[in-house]
Amino acid sequence: MSDNNNVHISSYKEHFSTWAALILLTFMTVAVSVFGAELRTLSVATAMIIATVKATAVGYYFMHIKYDPKIYKWMMGTVLALFTFFMIMLTIDYLTR
Amino acid sequence: MDHTFHLPNSGHNFDAKSSKLGMWLFLYTELLLFGGLFLVYMVYRELNSEAFLLASFKLNVWMGTFNTVLLITSSMTIAMSITALQKGNKKLSVNLMWLTIIAALGFLVVKYFEWGAKFEHGLVPGMEHYDTLPMGERLYFYLYFFMTGLHGLHVIIGAIFILFVIRGVNKGTVTPERYSLSENAGLYWHLVDLVWIYLFPLFYLIH
Amino acid sequence: MTVDALPYTDFYKAKKGIWSWLFTLDHKRIALLYLYAIISFFLVGATLGILMRLELFQPGKDIIEPQTYNQIFTLHGVIMIFLFIIPSIPAIFGNFLLPLILGTDDVAFPKLNLLSFYLYVLGALFALSTLIFGDGPADTGWTFYAPYSVKTGTNVTMSVLAAFILGFSSILTGLNFIVTIHRLRTPGMGFNQMPLFSWALYATSWIQVLATPVIGITLLMIVAERVFGIGLFDPSIGGDPILYQHLFWIYSHPAVYIMALPAMGVVSEIIPTFAQRTIFGYKAIAYSSMAIAFIGYFVWGHHMFTSGMSGPAAIIFSILTFLVAIPTSIKVFNWLATLYKGSIVIDTPLLYALAFIFNFLIGGLTGLLLGALAADVHVHDTYFVVGHFHYVMFGGTGFAFFGALHYWFPKIWGRMYNKKVANTAFAIFLIGFNILYFPMLILGIMGMPRRYYDYLPEFTSLNQISTVGSWITVTGIILMLINLIVAARKGEKAPDNPWNGITLEWQTKSPPPLENFDKMPQIPEGGPYNFPNAYKHKH
Repeated sequence: MSDNNNVHISSYKEHFSTWAALILLTFMTVAVSVFGAELRTLSVATAMIIATVKATAVGYYFMHIKYDPKIYKWMMGTVLALFTFFMIMLTIDYLTR
Repeated sequence: MDHTFHLPNSGHNFDAKSSKLGMWLFLYTELLLFGGLFLVYMVYRELNSEAFLLASFKLNVWMGTFNTVLLITSSMTIAMSITALQKGNKKLSVNLMWLTIIAALGFLVVKYFEWGAKFEHGLVPGMEHYDTLPMGERLYFYLYFFMTGLHGLHVIIGAIFILFVIRGVNKGTVTPERYSLSENAGLYWHLVDLVWIYLFPLFYLIH
Repeated sequence: MTVDALPYTDFYKAKKGIWSWLFTLDHKRIALLYLYAIISFFLVGATLGILMRLELFQPGKDIIEPQTYNQIFTLHGVIMIFLFIIPSIPAIFGNFLLPLILGTDDVAFPKLNLLSFYLYVLGALFALSTLIFGDGPADTGWTFYAPYSVKTGTNVTMSVLAAFILGFSSILTGLNFIVTIHRLRTPGMGFNQMPLFSWALYATSWIQVLATPVIGITLLMIVAERVFGIGLFDPSIGGDPILYQHLFWIYSHPAVYIMALPAMGVVSEIIPTFAQRTIFGYKAIAYSSMAIAFIGYFVWGHHMFTSGMSGPAAIIFSILTFLVAIPTSIKVFNWLATLYKGSIVIDTPLLYALAFIFNFLIGGLTGLLLGALAADVHVHDTYFVVGHFHYVMFGGTGFAFFGALHYWFPKIWGRMYNKKVANTAFAIFLIGFNILYFPMLILGIMGMPRRYYDYLPEFTSLNQISTVGSWITVTGIILMLINLIVAARKGEKAPDNPWNGITLEWQTKSPPPLENFDKMPQIPEGGPYNFPNAYKHKH
């Protein structure tokens, strides 16, 4: 029905900035892990938070979700909500055995 | 019967929005496919946290970091190649896709050396030394090979997908007006990157 | 009831030759390919079921060995679940009718649709290959629980790969339907003007897309476990077999709604047509489908109350399980309210729809008993569970499936069956079904465990009643199928709209032409079920 007309085109600059941010976050997470090893749990939490920030950046800018119709955000949100629920229930089960 | 009648909403028409929606739905299945493995990882890390910690020291953080940088860069090049195609610059678009494929090959080469080192040290399920490892560490390496192996398979599929797009651009079936295939290959490649963004800290950085 | 005399080419005659069927991209032909394959597997599965009932006619060995019995109940489960009931309504009636009721000419990705079918065929071949290769079909039960699925010598690998491939077939069908519903509705038809069958398929498709991958990866882990001899669920390397059960049911509980939701969609189509009345609570029925699909993800743990899962987790799962009953009963109340003061025409499809409600009610209420944590501990893994899920799956979805077959038969083949024979077959089928499965509920309460080859003498009489019921059921099904086969070949020509339905599929010819519509379909004013005579009642 429709060709890819009249859509938002992401700029090279935006892709480059996203890349720079991702590289920066990668070095941050490696640094925390290598030099902050004694932090243990905290370092795992930091690593996961940084990974999530990175994943959001990839999804939002590289995968274009930011400029897509709302439905894509809703669908992605549903998938993530389901997965989070799986994690919560499994954690409850294994922590209360 | 009126032979000239055609429904406006025919399933045989090309529809860029359908194609994109279909690709996203497929990506959700891929996410949940890996999701199942992440759930297994999560539970087993809870059950064997000490062993997982010790085992993670046997991986090479620098190789992992190098591969992360490679994948992030390739994610940028494929995203830029779509921008280039949309702007009508076919040559730049194809070159950026080739760069992406080169990065994919680089990733696989590094992975080959990493896996090779594990084979040398006998850390692979089924090898003699593996059976002498403490039980949690055996689980860790089982998961390591299963998850990075499945991810590696996706890297290969993604690279082949991009090759098809390059062929499409050269043959003129993928054009600045009709770039769905290139967009979908890009989405798939970003998914490969996305999975690695989690695999990397979970296996290499949990000390 | 005059037959439209204008000449046209229906989709059977539009193209000729075996290749035009095997490589067809037409959703109607693909649906028929599925139909023939799925009905064949249903008959194979039913035969295995009959064999089990025969073996259980009296205690001790009757006709087969214990090991064979284990393999038969596993194959019965695998065939009935993965090859019959999951694809049944979506792949056959969804494929045939979704484009028709949306007013389009095909699904969004016709080639992908054909690929789904061939994945189905491949998966089926894998499942059947266990009969010939390896050490016989799996004997684990259709759930393939670790660690037994790793230790047993039978050919689990092939059965598991079969389920994996069939899962992909199911995912692709679901993906296709979601895109079709989003993108190909006839101009002017919003989501809230869609017939309820497409709402049901929409909800089902989301489950197929979002739940199936989890079982896919889990089954791959079982394959890896068998290939390497050690595995992720093996306690000797720090694994946990209960985690397998979690992952298995994260898919397989939502899968129960892959089976049930399309059936509810069929009933939501049949009831307004035969009551000639607007559906009561359109939005309630439509959105409750989505609610069932959504809540269905949160309740998998109720299959594992006795597995060793923690108490708090079991309590949470039990509470969540009761939530599913709410949208389900909303549907039942709305169906009954639709019938109330309708101009009811009692015809075969309506009988099947009513039987669905009756059987599903028994299945659903026994399900509540099983969902209650305290009660479940006593009847877990007894014949009560077997009775329960046969009432839901066979009594519910199975009856809706055959109801759909009778409802859309004139549309698909352009001929009408003998209604007297159809009604007789229905009566025999319904009576036989209840004689077959109701005793199982009682046996379960009495304490007879499921999947056992032998049983104590006090269970004999109920088992014998049940076995006799299986013979009656089969008589009904065979009579029904013969009636339909005769009708498809020699039945009298059916008009385009024999039931006076107003959804879009009744606006085209029977059977439809290749492109489905030769003029723009007109969506009924004031909603998809706004029957003209419903207005007469009001004024």
